[in-house]
Amino acid sequence: MSAQKTLFVDYSKCIGCETCEAVCGFINDKPRIHMTRTRDGLMVPLYCHHCEEAHCAKVCKKGAIAKDRDGALVLQTMLCRGCETRQCILACPFGAIFATATGVAVRKCDLCASRRDLGMNPACAEMCPCGAVMFVERDKVEQLTTEESETSLKRVIEHIRPAVRRKA
Amino acid sequence: MNEAMNFNFLRNAPLPPNGRKVAVIGAGPSGLAAAGYLGGLGYQVEVYDKLPKPGGLMTFGIPSHRIPSARIDAGVLILERSLGVNFHCKTKVCCSAPLHEEEGDHFSWDMIGLGELVENHDAVIICTGSWKSRRLGIPGEKLAGVYSGLEFLFPIRAARYDTRNMHTPDVTGKNVIVIGAGHSAMDAAHAALHLDAAKVSVVYRRTKEDAPCGTFEIDRLLELGATWVEKTSPTAILGKAEVQALEVEGPEGKRTLPADTVIGAIGEIPTPPFAGELGLENIRKGDVRWLNMTAINNVFVAGDVLSGPSKVGKAVESGLKAARSLANWLDMKSHDPDACFSEQERYKEGRP
Repeated sequence: MSAQKTLFVDYSKCIGCETCEAVCGFINDKPRIHMTRTRDGLMVPLYCHHCEEAHCAKVCKKGAIAKDRDGALVLQTMLCRGCETRQCILACPFGAIFATATGVAVRKCDLCASRRDLGMNPACAEMCPCGAVMFVERDKVEQLTTEESETSLKRVIEHIRPAVRRKA
Repeated sequence: MNEAMNFNFLRNAPLPPNGRKVAVIGAGPSGLAAAGYLGGLGYQVEVYDKLPKPGGLMTFGIPSHRIPSARIDAGVLILERSLGVNFHCKTKVCCSAPLHEEEGDHFSWDMIGLGELVENHDAVIICTGSWKSRRLGIPGEKLAGVYSGLEFLFPIRAARYDTRNMHTPDVTGKNVIVIGAGHSAMDAAHAALHLDAAKVSVVYRRTKEDAPCGTFEIDRLLELGATWVEKTSPTAILGKAEVQALEVEGPEGKRTLPADTVIGAIGEIPTPPFAGELGLENIRKGDVRWLNMTAINNVFVAGDVLSGPSKVGKAVESGLKAARSLANWLDMKSHDPDACFSEQERYKEGRP
């Protein structure tokens, strides 16, 4: 198995320019990283963290979300039956699974699976002008975390999950 | 880790040269994205820009603590080295406005007509962005010490490239008033504080909650010592030759705020060369059959110049889509050289 990789967005470096969303939409038809504006005006992208212990994968009764060789949580569209409750959307702590209006019921980031097959990195990380979106080994995330990035992440979590209390 | 904004993100290696040559006017986010797309397809791409360095407002407008210019430089190097894109900087492609009217024109050494480019290339894509500042439209705007957001921010970055013509605005020990509450207003206020202004106030016509930049940015600015004046609109700039005060109207009625420098950061307007001839209004309305193509065959348009000031991401997307449209158009033409739309066909509802 190759090194487990994931996406890490340093929200304190992000300027909300929407380049990640734009390039994701360009290559995937519909973007799988989504810009949001918190109440205090911080523009940040919601993105799949490809969690080690992924709630979305656990709650999916069809087992449609699986981990691939690089550690990316991939939605197997043919298995997703579009359950009425959309459990995966509810389970995701980062608001990174999106309901669709047509076709497969949900869409999510697969860390640019077909690009990785060809030795390329996810497009959002390639094109971020600020270096805020990073494609890194999972165990490097901790090193990349700073006081500022944590503060900004906290602000984002407060916005998408107002009731959740995070450790100080 | 990845150190470049990689405009060649779509492929590992470019396709072999296809013998076609395109000119990209403007090396901002949309121009560079288009150059990356077309260069990867094997096009010979020539990029023209009026500034001494590619990057557009990502390099010359947005402060480097937000977008590190090294990332843009590295991305440009990838375009040059692996896609063979040629950059022609300090070259202005003839514009409807006289030279030196827009911010950044001072750098141009060379001028080329659009017609010349159209003749020498298979296609042209215009990505010139929005460089003209919106004016406040109040008395006293011509006084010394009145800047637009871009007029104030641009020289701070550009002074590094041409010290003879470009000077960082001198606000040391001065009383600075910034009008507006977008990101460029915030950047101007930050810059003024950084350049040791004595006092920096931000005047905005609505409340903090309405500010486009968000309360977070404003709070951060206040922590640094700026003053926030809300629900207040400027009515006149007072002074003889230089700015002395700003007359404003707010909840307490009319009053004057002492000022040595006034920065009206209320946005930019697009500066298209030959807007009329290119029929940009129709493209904006989506009223053409061929995506992003102007009224002139083989001339395409993308980014802020088309849709007005927006965001880096919107510009990138527009650049990519216009480049794809351009490639599809030339492919179609190569199958049938006579293929072209009649005037009637080009517009959905006939010529407006």
